[in-house]
Amino acid sequence: MESVTQERPATPAPVQLEPVPDDSPVPAPKTGGRMNWFTHWSIERRVLAGFGLVFTGIVVISAISYRNTSVLIENSRLDSKSHELVQLLDSVGEALDTTERGHRRYLVTGEEPYLKSYRMTVEQMPEYLRYLKDLTSELPEQQSRVTTLEQLIAQQLAAESGAITQREKHGYEAVRHLALSGAAKNELEGIHRLMTELDSAEQRDLQTRVAQSAKSTKNTIALLVLGAFLQFVLLATVYLLIHLDVTERRRVAKELLRRGELLQAANKELEAFSYSVSHDLRAPLRHIDGYAALLSKTAGEALNDKARHYLQTIADSAKRMGQLIDDLLAFSRMGRQDMLYTTVNLDQLVKDVLHDLRLDLQGRTISWTMSPLPNVSGDPAMLRQVFANLISNALKFTATRPEAKIEVGSTTRNPGEVEIFVRDNGAGFDMQYVNKLFGVFQRLHRNDEFEGTGIGLANVRRIIHRHGGRTWAEGALDQGATFYFSLPLTRSLR
Amino acid sequence: MTSANLILLAEDNPRDAELALAAMEEHHIADRVVVCQDGAEALDFLYCRGVFATRQKGNPTVVFLDLKMPKVDGIEVLRTIKNDVNLKPIPVVMLTSSREERDLAQSYALGANAYVVKPVEFHEFMKAVKELAVFWGVINETPLKGSGPID
Repeated sequence: MESVTQERPATPAPVQLEPVPDDSPVPAPKTGGRMNWFTHWSIERRVLAGFGLVFTGIVVISAISYRNTSVLIENSRLDSKSHELVQLLDSVGEALDTTERGHRRYLVTGEEPYLKSYRMTVEQMPEYLRYLKDLTSELPEQQSRVTTLEQLIAQQLAAESGAITQREKHGYEAVRHLALSGAAKNELEGIHRLMTELDSAEQRDLQTRVAQSAKSTKNTIALLVLGAFLQFVLLATVYLLIHLDVTERRRVAKELLRRGELLQAANKELEAFSYSVSHDLRAPLRHIDGYAALLSKTAGEALNDKARHYLQTIADSAKRMGQLIDDLLAFSRMGRQDMLYTTVNLDQLVKDVLHDLRLDLQGRTISWTMSPLPNVSGDPAMLRQVFANLISNALKFTATRPEAKIEVGSTTRNPGEVEIFVRDNGAGFDMQYVNKLFGVFQRLHRNDEFEGTGIGLANVRRIIHRHGGRTWAEGALDQGATFYFSLPLTRSLR
Repeated sequence: MTSANLILLAEDNPRDAELALAAMEEHHIADRVVVCQDGAEALDFLYCRGVFATRQKGNPTVVFLDLKMPKVDGIEVLRTIKNDVNLKPIPVVMLTSSREERDLAQSYALGANAYVVKPVEFHEFMKAVKELAVFWGVINETPLKGSGPID
């Protein structure tokens, strides 16, 4: 009798539900143990990880592209500076050459207009030099060359200035050799050498930068292509993950729907079964009872006591079986019936139940102890059945007591639920059978001791479970029993 | 005795029929009862055909109809009766085990005069059948009663 201690459905579903294959939910990549941590991740984590990688990739690519582009921009800035420098050097060289030529002609002819370019160069040179210094400010090597160049130019101009003074004071003869070889031949040569150095250094830098820019551009393009490919692969993987998950979810939803339909079909079949049981199975019972009654009526006089007892037994058994069928059907209905949730005044409910039981109370001496009960949320008809069953049980099992003591009360040990009990001083029960009390058709007393089909407490348990509560009992043989049930104070659907 | 005094009982279960007859016996109306074991037979009786081709013409006082019957079920018989201008005035009492709302609604929609669920308890069953037979078979007046047989 182990099985009776378990909760079991009163009516097993006649439709066999197909088992769902339980391999498949996560299509794990077959990469062995190393990917185990990944397959154990939830879909959200995996998608998040995928997007995280994509984001990181974008950040890295952006950073490298930014760096490369910065180099390109810097190089092009330096390039334009270099080009300006080269141009400026040309202008300076040209100016100095023109000055030199004009100066020599002046020395030979003594005509003032030939000094025009000399005077212009003297005037403009500080400006040129400042500009040169500015353009080479980032290059110390070139800067030092410009400094040297500045000195040489100053020397050249000073030499030319000296030659002009001599020509003015002493005439052509004094400066004849200068006019032939040039006033500052050495300086001029130094200037040209320096300018060539400056120019070639600048050209070298330019070339280096061009190579660097080309390499950087190539790298950037390669990086972008590779990055795009990786992003594509990652996004495709994430898409695949989501797609697989959605497909799986859709499959599960479909499966649930199918099972729901099966369950509904099973329920319908059960309904038809119950209907058939209640009508087709009861007809023969009605006949047994009916014919026994007819026989008793027809042959009553001719029958002896024994035969009449047999007939009575036939009729009683048929009636009892009818009662069992009715109880079982009611129990089955109780499990399927829709619940109606409303606020139930338990005090009023108990009063109504006692009113219904008034016939059973006649001729009994009963001392009632009624504590106020709280309002609960539940199905009034079902809860009324609970109290009716428990109180009529208490009445039944105290029938042998000269004074029956029945107590109905409640406690609130746990917040959020109320515990209600019905206590009696009746026949009680042995605690070792406590688990059998709430089973279907489980009885702890012989029928000739106390009548009953053994469905009452099973119904109580089912109703309380549907309300989200628990049932339990305490008792001792011949010392009364207490039946408890709990109900959640807040509504909870089952 | 004219056929207008007859009570037609369509009941496929012979035991239920016998018990019903036993109940009517107490009021001595059992000999007025014609029992048909399915809907087809009941229609044969009503239209005086088949085995009833030679019966005396005229409608029964009342028809007791079981719902679940072989061949032609009670609903079909009811529909035929209420769609026939000659049979329409006959009171039809549905006497069935079904408490289905659907059966009830359909019966009344088709024009049943009463709907009685067979009581579970035998004594209740006896009492119900007796009362029904007396009311519909004896007390109740119908337009055709006393107007004599129709030829």
